[in-house]
Amino acid sequence: MSANPFRDARVTDDRETLIRRLWQDRPRSRFVHWSGGLLLALVVHGWMLGGVNLSDVLSPQRWQNVERFLTELRPFPLQGRAWDWSVAGQWTLELLREKAWPAAVTTLAISVLAIVLATLGALLLVLSAARTIADAEPYLPGPRPPGLIRRLGSGGVVAGTRALLTFFRAVPEYIWAFLLVAMLGPTAWPAVLALALHNTGVLGKLGADVVENLETPALEALRGVGGSRLQIAGVGILPAIVPRMLLFVFYRWETCIREATVLGMLGIVSLGYWIEDARSRNHYDEMFFLILVGALIVLLGDVLSEIARRVMRTQQ
Amino acid sequence: MTAKTPSFSIGPRGWVLLSLLASAVWASVTLDLDVRRLVPTEGGWSVAAEFLARAVSPALTYEAAVVPAGTQPLLVKATEAARMTLAIAAAAMSLALVAGGTLGLCASTFWWRGTVRGVRRRFPFVVAYAGLRILIAVMRSVHELFWAVLLLAVFGLGNLTAVVAIAIPYTGVLAKVFSELIDEAPRDAGDALDGLGASRFQAFIFGVLPRALPDMGAYAFYRFECALRSSAILGFFGFPTLGYYVTASFENLHYGEVWSYLYVLFVLIALVDWWSGQLRRRLVA
Repeated sequence: MSANPFRDARVTDDRETLIRRLWQDRPRSRFVHWSGGLLLALVVHGWMLGGVNLSDVLSPQRWQNVERFLTELRPFPLQGRAWDWSVAGQWTLELLREKAWPAAVTTLAISVLAIVLATLGALLLVLSAARTIADAEPYLPGPRPPGLIRRLGSGGVVAGTRALLTFFRAVPEYIWAFLLVAMLGPTAWPAVLALALHNTGVLGKLGADVVENLETPALEALRGVGGSRLQIAGVGILPAIVPRMLLFVFYRWETCIREATVLGMLGIVSLGYWIEDARSRNHYDEMFFLILVGALIVLLGDVLSEIARRVMRTQQ
Repeated sequence: MTAKTPSFSIGPRGWVLLSLLASAVWASVTLDLDVRRLVPTEGGWSVAAEFLARAVSPALTYEAAVVPAGTQPLLVKATEAARMTLAIAAAAMSLALVAGGTLGLCASTFWWRGTVRGVRRRFPFVVAYAGLRILIAVMRSVHELFWAVLLLAVFGLGNLTAVVAIAIPYTGVLAKVFSELIDEAPRDAGDALDGLGASRFQAFIFGVLPRALPDMGAYAFYRFECALRSSAILGFFGFPTLGYYVTASFENLHYGEVWSYLYVLFVLIALVDWWSGQLRRRLVA
């Protein structure tokens, strides 16, 4: 891409030639081409897996299934009868009172507590995961270059913390939840801690990157007047990273709500628990209603976090 | 100039922080959490210790005492599961890209906020726009596992069910993000074409879309990574992806095998992560 087609174009070049030259000199990358080909191959492979049989999908029996399923989505007392608002209302209220409302509140509470714990966890680990502050001589060179042991020590702390964060993040929430249920029994703790652990990994990594990208002059000055690592962190780093961290926290909270609804399937009484329960009893009307409630609280979370982000933006 | 009187005010960010803490307190009261329940039973500790200890020594062969004759070796099975995971994710993403791309282009404000021709503000368009937005929001806010539960009831346990279950929420997410990326892309070229008398469609295709395309590609690839995870997780419902074998091994207390499958998943995700990083560097220069 060294040649600039505009510059190289001779004055005599007519428009057609110029356009052709521009086209010939467009940025091209073999890597991108091969990637595209490989992706296409993957997609084709995916669709050829089998189990994707169109004639089967379109068979009349399938459609009978679909039709039956759709009739079963009607509230049970109304199945095979004309629609009646009072009956439907009563059914809804009862379901809300007995299952949906408490489960929705539980789901929200799990997600909130999980994200707050994850934030605290991430804040604890953020400093030792950032190469800048965890360096043997943070921000300013010391009177003597640090010895091998101190350099290895600080490098080890950073690498270790980063590895821990990666580990937290790489294990899916569900695996954490499985393990924690086996450890703690069926309270709400496993769900909260599973989400908190996974998100500590995510927030810790994002936070450490923020710390490493901070503007250094103020921190160098703090170091210059003899501030210890903790003092620099308390006065210089923490206040500086809070705005960005809060944005990340709210983004992650949205996913937390989604996951919290699902984690109920492991026996914790959030919405997923009742959805799984309704499914196993083939009560599709109930299941459908509960899934809708789940969608609603996810949307509610979206709106709340959008409001929070907007409030914070007004300050900047 | 008088010196500012120091006054105590916490500002919007402070309020957000405070309400976050308050809601955490509310949450722990609501959940009726007891810190004492955090101490695992003796059995609990040994489970955790055993499980985490196997992280450094994943199984290379089956842990069961008796392995039926003719069973594939563990590593072959894990690779096979990884292939299924990848295939389902790729098929789902292709579907989501087509559907989400279309919806996203339609939902971008470019079409709806008439800059030159104000006719698009008319009532039917407003209704159509709101409907589109609601559709996208609903697709997005139902978790793929719940889509799977719904589709299982209709279509039964097949690969198509898994593909569609992932494709629906991903369509919603892609549509939302694509429309935002298009809205945020610079409008200069599009406006110029508009001024030259290009049709709305031409201005969009040649002026607006190319400015947003690299970011859209990069984001789509990131979602592909997420789709891999979702595809693996769907295995918990019996689809033959990595999650299926993870749960089976977990329930049989074969923790070494659990880690083998997890590491295969990690490698898969790390590979795609590396790939998408390389692509992003070349696309979003």
